[in-house]
Formats: sequence, structure tokens, C-alpha cells
Amino acid sequence: MNAFASAFRQPGLDRIDPILVILWAALIAIAAVWIAPFVFIVFTSLKANSTVMGSSAFSPPTSLEWANYSGAWARGRFSTTVLNSAVITTVKVPLGLLISAMAAYALSRIRLPGGRALFLLVLFGTMLPFQVMLAPLFTLVNGFGLINTKLGIILPYLAFGVPYQVFILHGFFSEVPKELSEAALVDGASHFTIFRRIFLPISLPVLAALLILDFVATWNEFAMALVILQDNGAWTLPLGLMSFQSQFQSDYGQLNAAIVMTVLPATIVYLIFQRYFVSGLTSGAIKE
Amino acid sequence: MNIRLSAPAQGFLLLAPAFLVYSVFAVYPMLDVAGLSFMKWNGLTADKQFVGFGNYLYVFTQDTVFWQAVRNTILWTLMSVIFPPAIGFALALALNQNIPGRSPLRALFYLPVVIAPIAVATIWRWMYDPFFGLFNATLTALGLERLIQDWLGDRNVALYAMFVASVWQTVGFSLVLFLAGLQNVSQTLVEASRIDGAGRFQTFRYVTLPALRPSIAIVLVLSVINSLKAFDIVYGMTGGGPAQSTQMLALWAFTQAMQLGDFGRGAAISVVLLLITIAIVIPYLRWTRSHEGAR
Repeated sequence: MNAFASAFRQPGLDRIDPILVILWAALIAIAAVWIAPFVFIVFTSLKANSTVMGSSAFSPPTSLEWANYSGAWARGRFSTTVLNSAVITTVKVPLGLLISAMAAYALSRIRLPGGRALFLLVLFGTMLPFQVMLAPLFTLVNGFGLINTKLGIILPYLAFGVPYQVFILHGFFSEVPKELSEAALVDGASHFTIFRRIFLPISLPVLAALLILDFVATWNEFAMALVILQDNGAWTLPLGLMSFQSQFQSDYGQLNAAIVMTVLPATIVYLIFQRYFVSGLTSGAIKE
Repeated sequence: MNIRLSAPAQGFLLLAPAFLVYSVFAVYPMLDVAGLSFMKWNGLTADKQFVGFGNYLYVFTQDTVFWQAVRNTILWTLMSVIFPPAIGFALALALNQNIPGRSPLRALFYLPVVIAPIAVATIWRWMYDPFFGLFNATLTALGLERLIQDWLGDRNVALYAMFVASVWQTVGFSLVLFLAGLQNVSQTLVEASRIDGAGRFQTFRYVTLPALRPSIAIVLVLSVINSLKAFDIVYGMTGGGPAQSTQMLALWAFTQAMQLGDFGRGAAISVVLLLITIAIVIPYLRWTRSHEGAR
């Protein structure tokens, strides 16, 4: 067991520290509690309803009831909601990142009259709860005639994504040495060219981190979708799940299959791109 | 194109798309909500009446649900500022030690953060199911039948039951921020204090804790802000019930406007929540900025 060969020791010491062993055992126990909901959901999603009611909650399913998944897919209209979520997310996430990066570049690298005030306006937005504006947002989108449309949800998503992304990218761009862009400026390059040829390429790791974070946030968003996407043909995954729960909540197997299918995409993305999550979150928060 | 734009002109062109969409769909609704809070309006017809502070007066003096929502929001925020950060802090300190399996453990604790809050609500609703849910099944298996509850159906229990779900979802967030903060703790300083004979607790108290102060401030402020806007989890788990016992300000503002059709009263509640948030955010932003300047 290689992982254990040097574990449990304080730096520079050879002997095993018993306190660390106890700590480790405690962590494993807490981890077991943390994972229990997932296990319970997956187990239930593979049980027939009669088994759910007749067997212990912890017992693994004896015969795998895959029909729960196909049943939930059809009744939950997943083919519609998955498609809507996918289209909205694929348009919103890259587009939002691009306009945020452009704005962050202008605010950090070009001396603009009123630039400071604009930056403060953005900073303020990072803390604003959009949950308090659901009704005026509905009125506004309704005024444009965009209720139940993808554009009608993408525009507010873009608006509420801008502050955090501009804030993070502004911090990153500000640290880039002046020499890098000045040489290009002297050579007659425009800011558009410098942004595209120099700043976008060097900020790829930050952009990747923001991309992943924003993918999950957009994929999971519920409150704005609830007021803007009212027709069930326009629903996204979270709205579909909510409706599934209220209609078929005693159909335990299918309900849990619907949960698994809703949660799976974000989970997979997270497990693959884990390190980007951490860097995306912490680059903003632990700057000072 | 041979026409060269001046540098500021180029800058404003780069700014334009983001600021246009931000102004129209984020800043304008915020101003609109303030204006609407002085109107009587059902959200549909053209008939808008100016009523001065009438909506505020109604909300403060006659709307009993509003005060219930205020109490719940305060309690929820207090609990959110204490428990998830404290648990996240303890886990981060433990995961920062030399123990096997640190990365998978960290990944596991963080996993609930990436799950849609509405799915967390659905998951926990099912676990709280009075007949076949995990909680009551566990209690039965342990022979603790007398502790069995209708977790989300009992007005004395529902808010706390919901909070446990929220803890499960949010601990990972504090944990990751604290772990990042711990990277900034100088290992040389930790070892030096060890060599000088400081015990575990003293090293923690005099070396680790001071270095973590910025992380602690950030986690606490973000916890307050996030808990004030609790919406999805309440909507999905209880809808504010039973008997409004889990009602919160964000959801009650939404309910007044979108479900009861009174946009004015809904807006007044929104403004109250907005002012509370601003009262917390502004001092924090000042503090970070003075902190930056001091360096």
C-alpha cells in the first residue's frame, strides 16, 4: 500500500502520529454519511415500486429495474428538457464568457473616462441577489415578447453572469505585464487585435475554469427559468424535475431515476474537470 | 478599414455588449423593483397606481406571513453562517494533514455543491418521506421509532430538516475556500514554531489562524449573501409550508407578485431584502478595498 507508506506522519518525523489516524477514521465516517444520499437515490432508482415499499431502504436492488429510467424519460419529457437545457447552455456559456472577457480587457488595460465607476458597478453586481428581481424580470422579458423563448432566458442569464466573470478576468488581466501589450501597440496593433491575439490565448486556463463553473451554474439554474419559461415545451431540466416530483412523487423508482438523470451531466463534468472548479472558485475569493 | 479609432473608443466598443445586457437585464430590473414598490399593480394590465408607502405599510403592519418570513430568514442566515463554515473549516483542517485519500475525500465533500439545488430539494424530500424515506427507515432499523417524524410536514421541524439538506449542499463550498486559504499558510513558519516547542494548538492559534483571517471573512460574507437568497431549496422542498413555517423573504416576494398577483407588495418585500443585502455587502467591499490598499 504505497499511499500509506508515508502517510500519518508529521513532516520530518518517522513515527506514525496516532491523532492523524483517528482524524482519518473520523473523516471516512463523515464521508460515508455524505455519500449516503447518492447511494440511496441510485438504489431506489433501480427498484420496482413494490420493492421500495417492501424492502429495507438500504438493501441494494435485487433485480435491476432499468425500466424506471425509460419510463421517467418519457413521462418527464426529458427529450424536450435535455435539448432545451443543452441549447441554452451551449449558447449562453461561451457567449457570456466572450463579452465578459472583452469588458474585462477594456476596464483593465485601456484608460477610460468613468472606467472606475463602471468597474464598481460591476463589482456591486457580483453580490446582488437576482432572486429579489424575479417579478420585474418577468415584466421586462414579457415586454420584449420573449416569454417562453430561449432568447428570453439567455439574455438575463448573460446579464447575471457578467459581474463575477468580469471581476475575475479583470483581476487576471491587471496582472499581465505592460510590456506584453505595449510593444504590440507601438507596432500599430489595435486593442481588438491585442485582446484576441495576446490576452485571450494567455488567459485560457482562467477561461476554462470560468467556463466549467458557468456551465454548471447555467445547467442548474431554476428560479429565473421558473418565471420566464412557463410553457412545458420551453422547460429546462430543473423545471422538468420539479414538475415530475409534483406529479409522480409516489412513483418512487421513476422519481429517483429522474433525479439521477438530472444530476448526472453536472456530476460527470465536475468529476472530469475538478481542478478547474477549485481554481475558478478560489481565484476570485482568495485574491487579497 | 483604414479609420483608426481612438483607444477609448475601442474600449467602449469592447465594453458595450456586456454593459448593454447587464444594464438592461440586471440593473434596470433592480431600479424597476424599487419603483414598483410604490405602486399598486397586478403585473398584467396597464393600470398602475401610485400608492406612496402603502405597500410597505401593508407589508409591515398587516402581512403576518412577512414577519414569519423575516424570522425564518434571520434564523436561516444565522444557522448558515455558523454550521456550514464551521464544519467546512474542521474538514479543511483535517484534509490538510498528511493522510491518505485526500483528493477523493475532498471531491466527495464538494460534489453536492455542483448538484442543482432543485435536485437537492427533490433528493432530500424523498429521504424525508415519512413512510419509505431513508431517515425514518434508519430510525426504525436502530430501534428509535419514537424519533420518527413527518420531517417536512411538522411546522416545528420542517425548517431545521430543510437546513440539514442545505448543510449537506453547502459545506463543500466553505471547505474548498478554506483549503485554498490553508495553502497560504507558510509551512516554514509552522515548522519553525514546532521546533521552538509550540504544541499543536499553539501552532494553530498563532500561525495558522491569523493567516486564514481573509478566507474566514470571505466565507462568512458569502455564506450570509447566499443564505439571504435561499429560494430553490425552499420552493422545491416545502414551498414555504406547512402553514408558512418555512417561508422566506425571497420566496414570499416571488409568491406575492407572481402567484398572488400583487407586484407592488412583492416589490416592497424585495426592496427590504435588497437593503439588507446591501447593508452587508457595502461594508464588506470597503473592508476588502482598504485591505488591498494596506498591502
